[in-house]
Amino acid sequence: DATRGTPNDCQPCPCPAGATCAVVFKTKEVVCTNCPAGTTGKRCELCDDGFFGDPLGQGGPVRACRACKCSDNIDPNAVGNCNRETGECLKCIYNTDGFFCDRCKEGYYGNALATNPSDKCKSCSCSPLGTVDHQTACSQVTGQCPCLPNVAERDCSACQPGFFNLQSGNGCERCNCNPIGSTN
Amino acid sequence: PRPDVHPLPPGTHLLFAQSGRIEHVPLDGHDMKKSDAKALLHLPEKVVIGVAYDCVEKMVYWTEITSPSISKASIQGGEPTAVIQSDLNSPEGIAVDHLGRTLFWTDSMKDCIEVASLDGTKRRVIVDTDLVNPRAIITDPPNGNLYWTDWNRDAPKIETSYMDGSNRRVLVTDNLGLPNGLTFDSQSSLLCWADAGTHKLECMHPSHGDRRQVMEGIQYPFGITSFGKNIYYTDWRRDAVVTVDRYAGRESDEFQPQKRTKLYGIATALAQCPSGQNYCAVN
Repeated sequence: DATRGTPNDCQPCPCPAGATCAVVFKTKEVVCTNCPAGTTGKRCELCDDGFFGDPLGQGGPVRACRACKCSDNIDPNAVGNCNRETGECLKCIYNTDGFFCDRCKEGYYGNALATNPSDKCKSCSCSPLGTVDHQTACSQVTGQCPCLPNVAERDCSACQPGFFNLQSGNGCERCNCNPIGSTN
Repeated sequence: PRPDVHPLPPGTHLLFAQSGRIEHVPLDGHDMKKSDAKALLHLPEKVVIGVAYDCVEKMVYWTEITSPSISKASIQGGEPTAVIQSDLNSPEGIAVDHLGRTLFWTDSMKDCIEVASLDGTKRRVIVDTDLVNPRAIITDPPNGNLYWTDWNRDAPKIETSYMDGSNRRVLVTDNLGLPNGLTFDSQSSLLCWADAGTHKLECMHPSHGDRRQVMEGIQYPFGITSFGKNIYYTDWRRDAVVTVDRYAGRESDEFQPQKRTKLYGIATALAQCPSGQNYCAVN
């Protein structure tokens, strides 16, 4: 307030060098208006969209704003790809998931960090008849679905040798063939 | 007197979002009065994406993704007020039907299009199938049409429907890349879009389908709006608002705000509402 006539009427902006500031009329709050490149917020304490960090070190050491780190599993045309403070990835693509889009999302398996998108995460496609409780999730690394008793294959789609009746939905039953009359 | 809400003088303006603020540039005829550009609203903790304008109540509406919400404020000065705060994930494009007094928006994580009254009540999902990355949305109130883009990299498209989501049709799928921006000029009935994948500005008459290119070689358009002979788009590479004369098919001006950071949605704040009555009133 420059009209009071005291030496403290005008105070320096509580903003990083180069920024300007203004006082919000109603709340008397001081807001920085031209934060340095890549930063924003009332005190230039936040990173621009698509970046994360802690440019003023409010929650610990200063972390300059860096581009979202999401294992090449985000799309640059999207907005809000990561949390501006923590860097948590919010818009993973190619069926990936996790803080850094670094693992496959539920129902998919493979290597989220593979270079080629088609090599990344494949659908579990568990066979509903052979899978425990008709689950759709599998091991994110091997892709093995949780099979019912005596059911085989990654996707639980077949009976183990010597077993039959996958259709029952309760696992496969022993064939009980007479060893004398059977071929193997 | 408030530094965070500057009332706008009469006339037509461009309103556009830059992270943490909504800026405005007055138009003099069709030219940007760049020296008079300034922030309309400071929203320092927000990332504003979509901007729309209601010419009846002279309100700006915007979507925001950090604490996902839709808010409004009078361009004549006044507090920003939340309109919708619940059940939003990544609201992006926003459009106002000034005749029907409704608000439409896209949500790129819920993959849907929703509508509500301008006060946030009577909310309803009108499209929730076959959407991957819905972004821009615009209204044609006199004819009761809605238009939107989906920049799905595997199958980008521009679609239309009535304002209740019925009579949905795909308008464009061929030779699209990342159709980020969409605008409808009611005088010429031209639907125009800005594509960050093909780097083109194109237009078509939605009813006849005669598609034509306005300009190619543009850099990275995000938002687009039209006013008379001009198209104005925001560009992520240039951090600028670019003016294109759509009849001459060339760029005629550029405004680069002092702060160098991405610009998002853009809207034309008309001095007066365009003439035309509600399509419902005709029947």
